[in-house]
Amino acid sequence: MSDSSSVSQADSGAYVSDEVTVIDPLVVLDGVDVRVGSMQILRDVNLEVKAGEIVGLFGSNGAGKTTALRLIATLIRPAQGVGTVLGADLSAPERYDVRRKIGMIGHVPGTFPELSLLENLEYAARVAGVPIDRAKDALAAVGLAAASDRLAGASSHGMQRRTEFARELMIDRSLLLLDEPHSALDRDAVDLVEGLIERKAAEGGAVIVVSHDRDRINAIAHRSVELVGGTLS
Amino acid sequence: MNVQTRIRRWPWVAIVLAITVAFVLSMVSPKDDVQGELVRIMYIHVPAAWLAYVAFFVTFLGSLTYLLTKNLKWDRIAAASAEIGVFFTGLTLALGMIWGKSTWGVWWTWDARLTLTAIMFFVYLGYLALRRTTDDPISRASRASVLGVLGAVQIPIVHFSVVWWRTLHQPPSLVRPDGPAIQESLMLVALIVGVLAFTVVYVSAMVKRIELIHLEDRRIEIEHSIDRPVAGDSVVVPELGAKT
Amino acid sequence: MTTGFWHQVEAVVHRDLLRERRRGDVLWVTIPFGALALLLVPLAIGTDASMLRDIGVGMYWVIVMLFGVLVAVGKASRETLPQQDASSLLGLDPAAGFVGRTMSSAILLLAFEAVVGVVAVGLYNIEIIGVGWLVLTLFIVAIGLALLGTLTAGIVNSTSTGIALVPLLVAPLSVPLLLGATQSYDGLRYGNAIISWVSMMMAVVIVVSMIGVLTARPLQES
Repeated sequence: MSDSSSVSQADSGAYVSDEVTVIDPLVVLDGVDVRVGSMQILRDVNLEVKAGEIVGLFGSNGAGKTTALRLIATLIRPAQGVGTVLGADLSAPERYDVRRKIGMIGHVPGTFPELSLLENLEYAARVAGVPIDRAKDALAAVGLAAASDRLAGASSHGMQRRTEFARELMIDRSLLLLDEPHSALDRDAVDLVEGLIERKAAEGGAVIVVSHDRDRINAIAHRSVELVGGTLS
Repeated sequence: MNVQTRIRRWPWVAIVLAITVAFVLSMVSPKDDVQGELVRIMYIHVPAAWLAYVAFFVTFLGSLTYLLTKNLKWDRIAAASAEIGVFFTGLTLALGMIWGKSTWGVWWTWDARLTLTAIMFFVYLGYLALRRTTDDPISRASRASVLGVLGAVQIPIVHFSVVWWRTLHQPPSLVRPDGPAIQESLMLVALIVGVLAFTVVYVSAMVKRIELIHLEDRRIEIEHSIDRPVAGDSVVVPELGAKT
Repeated sequence: MTTGFWHQVEAVVHRDLLRERRRGDVLWVTIPFGALALLLVPLAIGTDASMLRDIGVGMYWVIVMLFGVLVAVGKASRETLPQQDASSLLGLDPAAGFVGRTMSSAILLLAFEAVVGVVAVGLYNIEIIGVGWLVLTLFIVAIGLALLGTLTAGIVNSTSTGIALVPLLVAPLSVPLLLGATQSYDGLRYGNAIISWVSMMMAVVIVVSMIGVLTARPLQES
């Protein structure tokens, strides 16, 4: 169950996939500030993530880790500073074009509770424009084939997270942003997630993992950064 | 008095001057043959209605320009104008009702203009209510601007619908809310001066209100630029688990 | 617009209708509430048969306007921030999202109009005339109201007190639909031309859909 092989690494350091040219480093944040409403969340954040890297992101509760992920996912704009993700300026409309290459699994599931696990994936496949039969395969790959008709709202948190991992397997992503990927997952699912993270990096993508579990992350990450006082150290 | 103080005071001077002249003229103008002294309500009612339309048109222009330029200045103009517009629409409706009650014996008549004014009042009341729901200036500006454009684009359609509707159902002639016929040139002069005076009030209020909104935004900006702790700093190590 | 756009629209319509089918908010809450309102009116103003016949059509359309808005802001068409984020990262064009949500709301509104319409005809003894025009009116109003509801729901989106604002924002703007629908019926009844009313309702549909499609992106990104 790998469709990410369509991403071919070129010698120049930039590689071409479906429709976007991805430029290395995949993530560059230069003195970025983020405000949400009237609250200052991030200040003067600098970060560079290259293709093939796995980066751990630590920080205490409310430090702005989730906001940092949403920033890198192009979902919020920097209030100040410059940032590019997959070559797209975070403040310019070109960021919309790279979104399909960014996978994010937040700590609150983005599944629709009224839809079954399979229907959730089929919806994702339809919107992303990938063949719809991939949904079934992806669900089987995360060990949920037998539960495919169960409504997301009636499934456990862990099952919903597995479904979201299935979504990321199904769609060809260059950058994966994971918020607490180990929470609510059992032993097998953790192995699955770590396998996915390592494979994504080996394929020339990058992964940023937010976690409180430093030992786990340090075991797989190439390096880690910490959010303190709204800035990275 | 230095130049700056003088500039800051001109709106007040202009308002007082304009209103005084308009008031005197409206009082010395003759009374109406049919309506008597009541006709003097017209000198406020008509200018207020005129200004309400001008104000909402400015809100539309401000909203549209904001959507095209993303410059917050235009959103401030739209917001200030909508506030003043809602005030003048409310004034128009209240005076119209008082006028109607004393002239025709009813508070309300389903005249096209009256109905349209009432609808506009609610559209822009909604606009102001929407602005209260968001703190973030950029998010607020985008949302309010879309509503500012939608509201304004719908108004001509609402206008036509109400006019056609009234043409089909003429109200009883007793309650036809036509204004008094302007019989004397002094009445016309008083009305025109009234409109001008209210326009001065509008422009002055706009200048003040935009300045105020700008200052509010500046205050937030300054608060951000000084080294204020970020939101995450409000979470500290729990004392129970802390090492002593 | 590309085929990708319409595939996304289809995905959103499919999603929202499935969500509504499982929740049943419109079927089990909004529709019975609308029907109940029609039952309450005669209790308050009297049960004279000819009077009810006279006000019946007007009452029906008022109920459609006021309660129909609730369809567009129903739970089944609302999304949480993580759900929105997920859709954005799937590459969902906000305009496709807008068109899809509008279409599913319009379908639900048609169902609302149909059921409440049968109740109105029964309770108020309304005479059905000009079936072709009537069906056309029902369609246009459903689409127009769905557009206004979806657009304003998008405008107030993600604000805590916002969603309660939608009916206040939609009601005054839907006046041309209300007048168009009621006057078309009167026109049919008295043999007057109704094409101007139908065109006016169409104008609302065209104007609001243009604004909705053009502002979908800026609204979502704000």
